[in-house]
This record gives sequence, structure tokens and C-alpha cells, in this order.
Amino acid sequence: MVDALTLGAFTALYVAVLFLLTYMAYRRTRKGEDFLLAGRKVHPAIIGLSYGSTFISTSAIVGFGGVAAQLGMGIIWLTVLCIGVGVLIAFIVYGKRTRRIGQRMGAVTLPDLLSKRYNSNFLQYGTSVIILASMPLYSSAVLIGGSRFIETTLGIDYYTALFGFALITALYVVFGGILAVMYTDAFQGGIMVFGMVAILVITYMVLGGVTTAHHDLTDMASLVPSGLASAGMNGWTAMPDLGSPIWFTLITTIVMGVGIGVLAQPQLVVRYMTAKDDRSLNRAIPIGGLFILLSTGVAFTVGALTNVYFFRNNGVIATSMVSGGNIDQIIPLYINTAMPDVVVILFMLTLLAAAMSTLSALFHSMGSAAGHDLWTHLGCSRLMPSRVRRERNGSCSLRANQAGTAVMIVVSVGLAFLMPGSIIARATAMFMGLSAAAFLPLFTLAIFSERPSLLAAKLSLVVGAGSWFLWTAFVHVKESEVLGISRALFGTDAVLGSPWTVVDPLVIALPASALALLLGLFLERRAAPA
Amino acid sequence: MFGIEDPQIIIGYALAIGLGLFCLAYGYRNWNEGGEQDG
Repeated sequence: MVDALTLGAFTALYVAVLFLLTYMAYRRTRKGEDFLLAGRKVHPAIIGLSYGSTFISTSAIVGFGGVAAQLGMGIIWLTVLCIGVGVLIAFIVYGKRTRRIGQRMGAVTLPDLLSKRYNSNFLQYGTSVIILASMPLYSSAVLIGGSRFIETTLGIDYYTALFGFALITALYVVFGGILAVMYTDAFQGGIMVFGMVAILVITYMVLGGVTTAHHDLTDMASLVPSGLASAGMNGWTAMPDLGSPIWFTLITTIVMGVGIGVLAQPQLVVRYMTAKDDRSLNRAIPIGGLFILLSTGVAFTVGALTNVYFFRNNGVIATSMVSGGNIDQIIPLYINTAMPDVVVILFMLTLLAAAMSTLSALFHSMGSAAGHDLWTHLGCSRLMPSRVRRERNGSCSLRANQAGTAVMIVVSVGLAFLMPGSIIARATAMFMGLSAAAFLPLFTLAIFSERPSLLAAKLSLVVGAGSWFLWTAFVHVKESEVLGISRALFGTDAVLGSPWTVVDPLVIALPASALALLLGLFLERRAAPA
Repeated sequence: MFGIEDPQIIIGYALAIGLGLFCLAYGYRNWNEGGEQDG
């Protein structure tokens, strides 16, 4: 066990660097557009690291690492999608067009881009409201994960850790805007890469080499708990049976939910718009791709291999080592027991970095949705009485964005008190699934169509968000039983039977949203004069 | 291969590492492309 003084000293040094970077960013943040996009000239290396460290949070390392310990190496397909879709398709296909259109139209956020592209206030307000309603779920999960880790590692009271963690992140987001977020992301991303590589190398050394470690894990297939085996699990180095409940959870909720959901996340989309030109995005791709490989690939591999370590040393598999089967505790427990002190410190900083980089980006996105997309635009709209209505001059207020960010931070902290345990990976997948279902089809149409159809976009947004909510509340049993709406109305946790209860809402809502978009395009074409 | 027998897992690892390397190759090949477009 590392002594608290050493841990505290490294943490203080880490926080001091964050504030130094925040001060550098603060001096360059003078107006609203600086706060939101940093003058559209961020260095490619910072874009790549910031994109990666925002995408990869404690959810990926602790939450999904824990899933790997429970369900095995099949989760490596999430790394495939994260790099193939989340980096290559995201930057090459979506990123370049988004940057060009955003720059041409002067858009500063995803709702702003959609609103200007479709010339629609409905889309600005609609997308902002969805962001403000769903993103606190994700930010609170990240906040809980980071605070729990600080509690167990530094021995600080959970609520003190929660407030301190939120306050430090809040200070640098509110004062330094996107530039502070991206500078600190890059610093944090560097720590994460270094930490994860060290953990992978030491894990294989401890377990006797790559082939021996994998071979031993393969031989443990008979130890799969009977409940998981009957639900389709075949071992930690084998995919579950095709179509089994575990296969559906692994592929539809985790691999597809996160891997596809990444394309339309507001906090990631805005990073394309901080690039000066396409060359900056080209140069960010190798950094982003390698970062995702080293962070998720390592977390998922080491997560599965914890079973070998715990079986050799304690005679039980990883899930038997944690109280109440809380898989979020497996990776921290493994690091604390198997790694040398210096790696424990490095991992603690890695997790803090992962949590803070994601959290700061979410705070910033929610703040811009509240401050710029809702408050600034509502203040100029005809919905406001003429006495208080402001002139629409196209500018965005620095103070409104800072105030919006502060309010949403308070909301996230409040929600963190209400959320249940073992929520990290699920809340992440839920937010990403909703982002994909509600935003992806209309975002795709906005950047690929010369004259995008507003009717199609509205239909897609409403059907995507609506069908995602209905499936979540009434069919997907993991969420519906927690929400309790289905039980209150129909006396059952899910209104459909197996296998629908384990099919993720994304699998239903994304195609529904895409079909609604196509229907809108068809209706508009029929209505148009020949 | 490397102690893993299920080809679906092996393909997953091969694709993850291959795509990571592709990102490197893409960046190297297009390092100076796109600087003049659209400002």
C-alpha cells in the first residue's frame, strides 16, 4: 500500500500543473468564441490527445475493464469500433466536413451547427434540451467513478472527494474554456498512455509472458460462473454464443452503443471545429488512433487477465474478489494488489486524468448548450418579451457560457448523489446510445447534403429520441427496472419478452431515427413542385 | 495463437492493432495534405 503522503504529494503536483495550464488558457480566453472554440487554431497533437482522452474516461478503463474481467476478451471489438469508427471514420469522413461547414457558417457548437445548417431554431433548442437532459447522467457517472477512486486510494471521505474533484475541474473549465480543457486533456492524455503501457508490460511480466498468460486464461473456461455459462459465455478468451443474452449485451450495448455513439457526441464534434484546417485533422489521426489502442486495448486485455492473477494468488476469479459483485472495483483492486508502488501512483494519476479530461469536456459542452445555445438564443428570440429581448448580433457571450457551465456543474454534482452503484459503464453506454439515436442521422444529413431537409431532421430527432426513451423505459430491462415507469403503468419491468429485454435501445432507435429521416426526405420530395 | 484459440478474438485483436497502425500510416501519408483547403 502506497503511503498517503507520497500519493498526496504527486496529486498536489498534478493539480498544480493543471492550474498552470489553466492560467495559460485563461490569458488567451477573452471572448465567447475563445471559450467555445479557442480561435479555431488548436495544435493537431492537442486535438488528437484531447479527442482521445475525452472519449476515454474512467468508464473505459475501470467500467469496461471490469466488464472484460467479467465477460472476457470479446470486448476487444469495442477497441476495433473505437478506432475504425471513432477515429478513422469520425475524423476523415465526418471531421473534415464538420470543420469546413462549421467554419463557413460560424458555428461554435453542435446545436449551433445544426441550427445554422437547417436554419431552424427548433433544432437548436431541441438538441440543446436533449444534451442538457442526458449529458448530466454521463457526467455524474464519471464524477462518481473518480470520487470513489479518490476515496479508496487517498482515503478521503467520498463527499469531500466528490466536491473537491468537481471544484477543481469546474475552476479550469469556467476560467479557461475549451483551451484549458484541451491543454489539460493533452497533459492528462500523456499520463494515461504512459500509465496504461506500464500496466500492460508489468501484467505480462507478472503472469509469465503473453502466451502463458493467455493460455492460462483459456484453460480457466470451466470456472465461468454457471449463471454466465447458461447465458452464453464460453470463457474469457472466447466470444459468447451468437444470439445469447451475453452476446446481445456485449455486442449491442457495449460494442455498438459506444462504438457508434461516438460519432455524434457534442463534446467530440466540437473538437473538429477547433482545427485550423484539414491538415490539422490529418495530423491528429495517428495520435488519436494510437491513444485509443493503448488505452482501451490495454484496459480490456488486463481486465480479462485479472482472472489469472486472482486465481493464481487467491484461488478465485476476479468477480469473486469484489464485494457485492461490483465489477467497477476489479481494476483498482488489481492495481493496488499486483502493481509496484510507482505504478499504483501512476495509475491513480491515470484514472484522475481520464475522469477529469472527460468531465471537463462534458461540463464545457453542457455549459455551451445552456449558455450559448439556450440562454443567448432565447434572449434574442420572439419568445422573450420585447422589454428584455436583446439584439441578435451573432456574437456569443463569455459570461453566459461561464454561467451556463457553472449551473450544469451544480446539476451534475446534485445528480451524483442520487445515482445507484455499478452505474459507470451503463450510464456511459446510455448517453452514447441516445446521442447516436437522436443526433447521428440528422448530423450526417447536415454535413453530406447540399440542401438538407428540415422536415427529415425534425422527424429523425423526435423519433430517435422518443424511441430510445420508450425502449429504455419499457423494454430494456436493465434500465426499465431501475426507472420503474413500466412497472408503475403495466405492472411489469418489461412489456416485451426475451430476447428483446437484452437488445440495447440503440439497436432499435438508431434505425428508427434513420427511417424517419428517409420518410421525411420522401415526404418533402413529394410535396416539392415538379 | 498466443494462447488464444477463438478466431473471433484473434481477428478482433488483429483488427484493433491493424487499425491503429493504419492511423499511423494515414497520418504519415497525409501529413502535409489539406493545408490550403477552405482556409
